[in-house]
Amino acid sequence: MSLGSRIIGASIIASSLFALPAFAEECIAPADPGGGWDFTCRTAGKLLYDLQLVDEPVQVTNMPGGVGAVAWANVASRRADDASLIVATSTVGITEIAQGRYPSDASAMRWIGMLGTDVGVVVVPADSEYETLDQLVEQLNQDPASIAAAGSSGAGGWDHIRLLMLAEAGGLSSEEYQQIRWVQFDGGSPAVTQMLGGQVDVVTTDLGEIAGFVESGDIRILAAMSDEPIPAFPDAPTAIDQGYEVTGYNWRGFYTGGDVSDEAYDEWVATLEELYNTDEWKEAAESSGLIPVWRGGEEFETYVNEQAEQMAEISRQIGVIE
Amino acid sequence: MDILSLLGQGFAVALTPTNLALAMFGCFIGTMIGALPGIGPVNGVAILIPVAFSLGLEPVSALIMLSCIYYGCMYGGRISSIMLNIPGDEPAIMTTLDGYPMAKAGKASQALAISALASFVGATFATIGLTLFAPMLAKAAIYFGPADYFALYVMAFATIGGVTGANPFKTLLAAFLGLMIASVGLDPATGTARYTFGSYHLYDGFDPIVAIVGLFAISEVLVYLEGVHKDEARSVPLGRAIPKFSEIFVGGWAHARGSVIGFLCGILPGAGASLGAFMSYIFERRWSDKNGTFGKGDPKGIVAPEAGNNAASGGALIPMLTLGVPGSGTTAVMLALLISLNIQPGPLLFEREPEMVWGLIASLYIANVVLLVMNIPMVGIFTRVLAMPQWILMPFVVMVSFLGIYSISHSTFDLFVMIGFGVLGYGLRKLDISLVPVILGLLLGADMENNLRRALSISGGDFSILLASPISVLLYVVTFAMLMLAFGFAYVGRRKARRAADGP
Amino acid sequence: MTDRIVGCILLAIAIAYGITAGDYEARFGDPLGPAALPMMLAVPAALLSLALILKPDPDPAWVTGRPMLRQLAALVLLLGYAQFLETLGFLLATFIAVTLLGKLLRSTWLLSAASGAVMSVVLFVLFDQLLGLPLPLLPEFMG
Repeated sequence: MSLGSRIIGASIIASSLFALPAFAEECIAPADPGGGWDFTCRTAGKLLYDLQLVDEPVQVTNMPGGVGAVAWANVASRRADDASLIVATSTVGITEIAQGRYPSDASAMRWIGMLGTDVGVVVVPADSEYETLDQLVEQLNQDPASIAAAGSSGAGGWDHIRLLMLAEAGGLSSEEYQQIRWVQFDGGSPAVTQMLGGQVDVVTTDLGEIAGFVESGDIRILAAMSDEPIPAFPDAPTAIDQGYEVTGYNWRGFYTGGDVSDEAYDEWVATLEELYNTDEWKEAAESSGLIPVWRGGEEFETYVNEQAEQMAEISRQIGVIE
Repeated sequence: MDILSLLGQGFAVALTPTNLALAMFGCFIGTMIGALPGIGPVNGVAILIPVAFSLGLEPVSALIMLSCIYYGCMYGGRISSIMLNIPGDEPAIMTTLDGYPMAKAGKASQALAISALASFVGATFATIGLTLFAPMLAKAAIYFGPADYFALYVMAFATIGGVTGANPFKTLLAAFLGLMIASVGLDPATGTARYTFGSYHLYDGFDPIVAIVGLFAISEVLVYLEGVHKDEARSVPLGRAIPKFSEIFVGGWAHARGSVIGFLCGILPGAGASLGAFMSYIFERRWSDKNGTFGKGDPKGIVAPEAGNNAASGGALIPMLTLGVPGSGTTAVMLALLISLNIQPGPLLFEREPEMVWGLIASLYIANVVLLVMNIPMVGIFTRVLAMPQWILMPFVVMVSFLGIYSISHSTFDLFVMIGFGVLGYGLRKLDISLVPVILGLLLGADMENNLRRALSISGGDFSILLASPISVLLYVVTFAMLMLAFGFAYVGRRKARRAADGP
Repeated sequence: MTDRIVGCILLAIAIAYGITAGDYEARFGDPLGPAALPMMLAVPAALLSLALILKPDPDPAWVTGRPMLRQLAALVLLLGYAQFLETLGFLLATFIAVTLLGKLLRSTWLLSAASGAVMSVVLFVLFDQLLGLPLPLLPEFMG
């Protein structure tokens, strides 16, 4: 009894201190707290309110499951016209859509915009025999099975596909590049530490999580998969500079339900573009290893659909889907 | 000397009034979250990150508060294990084995105090290890490859039969049940959906927290309802409110053994606190269970896993800080927090952010002392819980369990899964099949499979890689020795029993 | 006897589990593939189930009569709570569930209802307000 009354007393006191106002806008992070999608929702949500771009704090709801499929199915079936809702996603979500793991294809949702992107890199240990991308590709051409590569996605996931895109640009046939050994780890840092421990030869993954290892000199970037050199590491050569016409971004952005009205959709696009144009967002993005890039509205929808098609095409070629 | 002066600077950062107050606040909240079944330390830390932001804290202060919550959760998880037979979080499952029997025998306050001390010893040991050896240990952990992890998990499962005194067939069967449950969901290596029957809800597999709450909390309600028609029900003798000093220090060297084993498990990324608690318990049981008192309320059966899980939690900070590789779910969340505070954990962290790192380490020492001081008097409050009428306590536990799950995932599907696990848990308990191996199988099964498949991906399918490194060979030798020891003990025990039967 | 029945059920599950695993083929991926480990698990699990059938322990005392009805009622109550939590809203659903659970645990109607009222408010404040984890407050038809 005394415990109960204490809890009530404490709750009343504490709730008067912390009481939050009612929520209006909601952002669904289709993953557990702590991951990249959660971070996208929480950072954007916090800045939207701090900068008074929305009137009330953005409520962040975690809805993990099926690499975003649970949230997708939920929005499609129950909240397709809910204009107060946005959902965080990224290139990883598009890969899932392209490989048919979501209940519907990209056209089922309205794509609001992307606010920043991570860049794929190919890295090797500092003492590796491979000094350039050419040397690695040459070795792959001679004996694709001699290289063990790793990343944070499974076989057929975005990290793997990016490596295969490079291999293809380097002249390997699909029979050949399928022989490259691929090892999946639970993130970019574990992959890099296992590479430093001598378990694998090369890692392809997003730069953001592993930038510290590049700065410390433990690992070397063989190729950055971006159009322009990465601002943080201007000396790291891009794949394009070395003659491989391949880019591999992992953007972060938002979608909303497919039946949301044009006015509400346009308002979201405008709000997020405004957020993108603030210094606060650029600072937050850069601090987590993202390069601020804006694509919004129609342009973004086209981009997403094209990317999904391209990804499906690659997946078919390498045999992940029929 | 160098380390001492750095640590001194750290204490200067941590001992400001604001940071000290935040540390105490974090310890208290952490203990509470740890004690509530269903929320667990991962979500506990995650849901308090926005609070840290909304208070507009300095990065160091925010980190100090959240680390104290993390340590606090580890302290708190044991409370409901001991009082209610419901683990507050994953690493606390081992503490149910001897903690709850002690509470049932009227020694709840003693069990709580013993475990508080063991937690303190384990966590302090790990913090000292973190202070002295962090960069060096991180370098060593790099050389632990997938084949070695697989050997470590083989060791855990090969020794699982010794986890309870009951029928070893049933214990093994329970472990296999857990492993089978662990294989449900998307296979991380290829993205194949296994045993999901087309439901997206099963793509991520079964969340261990949902399973734990179901197996332990819901089944507890069902077990209790069996006896409710008898009026005396299950009255637990309360014993004294504050235990005697001498009753707390019964663990002896079990503290040291648990701390060392737990710490070693902790510094290996991925293995984490649950494995630390489990290995410590198994080892302690082999080492000091001469009279068969383990599982029936042996204080050392509390000391070992509690020292182990807290040492592992501290150890898990080492790969997180120095490599940016989280050793557990909770450190993964803290990693995300660090990154969002514009601090990049990794090889350069100690050089670049000495103030932050040493302030954090100093605050961990403070958190340990605060938690010990806070927990001993709180023993009296928590033992009152047992005196509450069951018609308040049981619905409260059930509702907190439901909410802990629902408020995180917003999925009523998870609630049904939890009830399903409750029925399963009830059935297993009636058959005298221990629930602990089920959870261990579920917690470690996916990692065991992933590392086996990683090892074979690296070798291109050649199984000899499993025995290629000296670390894995050593682990298999130790496993073999432990099994031989177990069979030897069993043989001697049978001989003794037969001789006793043949005698007068 | 109970052990034998459970052993048979588990044996069936282990066999079904192993057979289902055979269908998991990745056209693409690691050398071991997604099917290998489940098949490796199915065999010892089946053998252990057989051991349970051949060497059963003495039967546990299953409950019958009113206690069993109470257990069933509690299960129905919990399932109902999970089913109607979102429809009824948190406060109403929790109030009803706690009240009925209290009654099942042999309290009086008045005390159960009182604890239901207090607990639903306290838990709502604790989770929704203090921890910032949103819960559906009101029934769907009112929200």
